[in-house]
Amino acid sequence: MSGETIASDARRPSEPGPSAGGGPRGTRRRPAAPERAERASRRARLREAAWGYAFVGPALVLFGVMGVYTIVYGFLLSFAEWNGFWPQWNWVGLDNYADLLWRSPVHAPAVREAGVNTLWVMIAVPLLTVAISFPLAVILNSARRMSGLLRSVYFLPYVTTGIAVYFAWQYILEPNGAINLLLRSVGLGSLEQPQGFLGNPDTALPTMIVVMVWSSVPVAMLLYLTGLQALDNSLLEAAQLDGAGWWRTQLSVVWPLLRPITAVIVLLNLRDSLQGFQVFLIMTNGGPGNSTNVLGLETYRLAFLSELAPTLGLASALGWLLFLAALVVAIVNQRALRRVG
Amino acid sequence: MSDTVRTVPLRGRAGASSGATPRGRRPGGRPATGTVVARTVIGLLLAAYAAISLYPFLWMVSAAFKDNQEVVSGGHLLPRSPTLQTLADTWNKLNFFDYFLNSLKVTVLTTVLVVVIYAAASYAFAVLRFPGRTALYRLFLVLLFVPGVVTLLPIVLLEHELDILGTHWGLVLPFVNGSAPLAVLLLTNSFSSIPGELRESARVDGAGEPRIFATIYLPLARPALITIALLTAIPTWNEYQLTRVSLNDPDTYTLPIALQAMRSENVVQYNSLMAAALIMVVPVVILFFSAQRYFVNGLMGAVKG
Repeated sequence: MSGETIASDARRPSEPGPSAGGGPRGTRRRPAAPERAERASRRARLREAAWGYAFVGPALVLFGVMGVYTIVYGFLLSFAEWNGFWPQWNWVGLDNYADLLWRSPVHAPAVREAGVNTLWVMIAVPLLTVAISFPLAVILNSARRMSGLLRSVYFLPYVTTGIAVYFAWQYILEPNGAINLLLRSVGLGSLEQPQGFLGNPDTALPTMIVVMVWSSVPVAMLLYLTGLQALDNSLLEAAQLDGAGWWRTQLSVVWPLLRPITAVIVLLNLRDSLQGFQVFLIMTNGGPGNSTNVLGLETYRLAFLSELAPTLGLASALGWLLFLAALVVAIVNQRALRRVG
Repeated sequence: MSDTVRTVPLRGRAGASSGATPRGRRPGGRPATGTVVARTVIGLLLAAYAAISLYPFLWMVSAAFKDNQEVVSGGHLLPRSPTLQTLADTWNKLNFFDYFLNSLKVTVLTTVLVVVIYAAASYAFAVLRFPGRTALYRLFLVLLFVPGVVTLLPIVLLEHELDILGTHWGLVLPFVNGSAPLAVLLLTNSFSSIPGELRESARVDGAGEPRIFATIYLPLARPALITIALLTAIPTWNEYQLTRVSLNDPDTYTLPIALQAMRSENVVQYNSLMAAALIMVVPVVILFFSAQRYFVNGLMGAVKG
């Protein structure tokens, strides 16, 4: 998942290869009949390769039809102007990218505004997710009773993430919904939002961030929990023998040991914050005003909601900019992980 | 619960890790001050987050059991006069059973295809040696970063050409392809943690690749397979973006689109909307809880791998 894992995985499969494949036969090879043995092992290798392609085959065919075509098509389209109905694309080179980034008086400001919103989401969601899920996992791991039940309850938001739960959130965020009711009943009536939390441009984005964190905590917590349960207990015992208190142990032993997991969590959340927009499409559609418009949603609007305007190329170009940004984020994340590791 | 979970995973995995951890004792996990105060604070914190996790669901359930008047007036979490009428009406009036079956069809087809196709591919990536293996493997992983929204439009146009736009297969095929990166990543990790000697000795006994795959690797990777099945089924059940732009005929609607259609009606009836949401959520919750322990272990394997 992190760049680190990807790199090491790509290397890993080739390691057992030699010993599992032609290796053992090679060592057993008699000097008397080297050629025959070589031919036999070559045939074995050919057969293994043939099986390899057979096993990868279905995945490749599907990728050829659904993946290659759509990716190439999307990439080419990012250099053209088209509205979906014109019989031909109008090639414009890099104009789409320039329009999005600085040139167009219509699109560049919209992209910039959506970019700022996206940046807030990208900062807040991973940070809050880690800040909530790490302590939560630590105390859940120390709970003796009910931990199974609690873990299931905590996991509910992930399992049901989607339109049903987003509608439930909308319902409780309504002007006379449950959140306002709750605030009033605990004496925080001053925080009440008469237009609803999603109706006020100032509270809409922070509210969406809360909803996103709420749905991303479960997986993060579970990843931390598995990390905690796999920790080498002798290290923790050593720390405690050295007189480190509970807080000290968590902060200077457990937290650094779980840093690879933190990296995975941050990367996954960065990617989702950068590219995901389903929650925005369903709950706010970017509004009120453009206060919750994010780059993913802007792309979707350009692709599907701009009627006959020739914005399909722009949509593709913006999508590829998001891809580039995701790659950069992954690489930076990997570098940061290397440095501390 | 957590103890049963921890014993299951590594049995077939030849001690992939944590063999040294004595079961049931976690010295570092527990505050050194085992006082009543500390335990109360922990209990309160855990309960507080449980409440936060459940909060929207509680109101969803509550609204689903309220009648029209009560839901409009706001009011309390506990319905004054709970009624099953709202759920029954929603189910009958809005053809929810048909949408339910459509969703089930799309989800089951997608999940089965993902598990079959990518288990096979991952076996090749993890075990077999053939030219281009590493390159193909990397290709599948890089796809993890291609934003869904980039391929959405080409998919719609391609399916229009192939004449499958608006059909359920037109949803299943891109869903399967879109699940490739995660499935390949997780299953390849899981297969390559299975010791190669098992495969060698099976080969000495004359077993071919398909048999080794089916009788050794698939059973040993069961937690990972179930995890991938869940990680595919849950988002597919909830999928909205592609579904919304490809389905036109109400007969083919899946639950998310049916739900969206209810929301777009001029006046939102929150009690029926929440009843519909509840109908949509319950099967996923049941599915998850019945497969939960495998899921936890499979994720564990993914992280360690």
